[in-house]
Amino acid sequence: MKNTNVYVLGVVLFFLIAPFTIVFMTAFSDDNSLIFPPKSYSVRWIISVLQTETFASSLVTSLWLGIGATVIALLLGIPAAYALQRYRLPETEWIRTALTSPLIIPGLVIGVALLRQFVLIRDGSVNLALLVGHAALVLPYAVRVVGASLANLPRDIEDAALSLGATRGQVFWRVVLPNVRGGVAAATVLAFINSFNHVPVSLFLTGPGVTTLPIRMLLHMESSYDPSIAALSMLVILFSIFFVLITERLLGLSRYV
Amino acid sequence: MNINTNRSRAWWLLFPSVLFLLIGFIYPVGTFLLESFKVGSNIGLSNYQTFLTDELNLEVYWRTVRIALLVTLVSAVVSYPAALAIMQLGAKYRGLLTGLIILPLMISPVARSFAWLVVLGREGLLNKTLVGSGLLTESIPILYTESAVFIGLLQLMLPLMLLSLTSALENLPKDVQAAAKSLGANGWQVFWRVILPLTRDGLAIGGTLVFTGCITAYVTPALLGGPRVTMLATLLYQKASVTVDEAATTVISVVMLLTTLAVNAALRSRSSRAA
Repeated sequence: MKNTNVYVLGVVLFFLIAPFTIVFMTAFSDDNSLIFPPKSYSVRWIISVLQTETFASSLVTSLWLGIGATVIALLLGIPAAYALQRYRLPETEWIRTALTSPLIIPGLVIGVALLRQFVLIRDGSVNLALLVGHAALVLPYAVRVVGASLANLPRDIEDAALSLGATRGQVFWRVVLPNVRGGVAAATVLAFINSFNHVPVSLFLTGPGVTTLPIRMLLHMESSYDPSIAALSMLVILFSIFFVLITERLLGLSRYV
Repeated sequence: MNINTNRSRAWWLLFPSVLFLLIGFIYPVGTFLLESFKVGSNIGLSNYQTFLTDELNLEVYWRTVRIALLVTLVSAVVSYPAALAIMQLGAKYRGLLTGLIILPLMISPVARSFAWLVVLGREGLLNKTLVGSGLLTESIPILYTESAVFIGLLQLMLPLMLLSLTSALENLPKDVQAAAKSLGANGWQVFWRVILPLTRDGLAIGGTLVFTGCITAYVTPALLGGPRVTMLATLLYQKASVTVDEAATTVISVVMLLTTLAVNAALRSRSSRAA
């Protein structure tokens, strides 16, 4: 029984991880079309991807979108998480549900709703709608992860600071925030990575001019079948791993997922 | 401190996020969903009637639910032994193993589906291996079938179930398994009568996450299912962007949302009944 379990775990991990080795190998292909295993290896597709204007501009869009959505989510989510954690009022449960609701609403529905109600009916900006959609999408991570971190912070510390003459603002900036910085950093990583990789919300809210990287990759896959997507996928995967590892090293991300 | 000062402090902190969510999320999504009941300038259910009497739409709906259920079931069956193995291997490896399970979650679904294109294609790795080893005489279509979507979604969602079950097992008192065994239970009895009932909450949470994820995933069915294996998400995209059918778009959105909410509610109530 014990050995069977370990065997199953091995198969599961293989199933989860092995596809990425395929992506990495194809990224170094020297062939003109997508063949696995590649006939010969080179870095030409990686260089070609890095030099492609449309990929570069989409990457910039995705980076700014991810940063913007994460900043909005943190600015709104941290005070909200604090209020939900410290003041237990009859209405706070409803608000908690509302703040985490973007997690259970399908992303496609969010995207198409923002397109219809803001852009088409009210003539709003598509870029703004995209930013709002992504911010709403990642707000739950800020509320929940920072909330979990706050739950571990004894309230007595704040009371002690207050009784020693600190103002409420000082307590927040100099006592609360430094103590939950691990949670804030974890929320930052989760929010950014989720926005950076997200497709459904962006699907309806991108067009000529502004296209996020995952959407650009999808469009490219529909039209051509070459190793450039592998090269691009590898770069995106390495970027995510790098980002996650740095945070894990600094703060222990896995405690919050 | 009286409740009114608390309430006003809480509201000042909550106000910005609630306002943002009302304007940027609840209002657009709410009014959009309500449009499904609009028939000309009247209110009615005829949009639903049109949608639900079309055989093709029903086929897409049941296919989506069927694949989602299958992925949920298989991920649970596979995750139990895997999660138990993580527990058995002890604290030394837990960090590494958890990291390996979380890692795919951090990676773009586009990149993850792309890998399966290479594996499952007509000239793909799987077909080549099967033909090469003599198990098949000629390559079979796997890509652009329900199987391809199933495999892609399973890889996408499995980590969520595995993490839920691992954390449920972590909260299990250490000696319950040993106690059941010392009282004469065999391996299966320990699982069915001790572990399963005690990890029901984790199973329900994992099941909700996996099922909801399958119903709403777009990239995997779009890339691995192709035009023949339409799911709700890809149908929604077609109706919204290709054929621009407003009524169908709103109806599919409501149907999709109701399905995920129903499963959420069903699994939640099951888990809370566990005593």
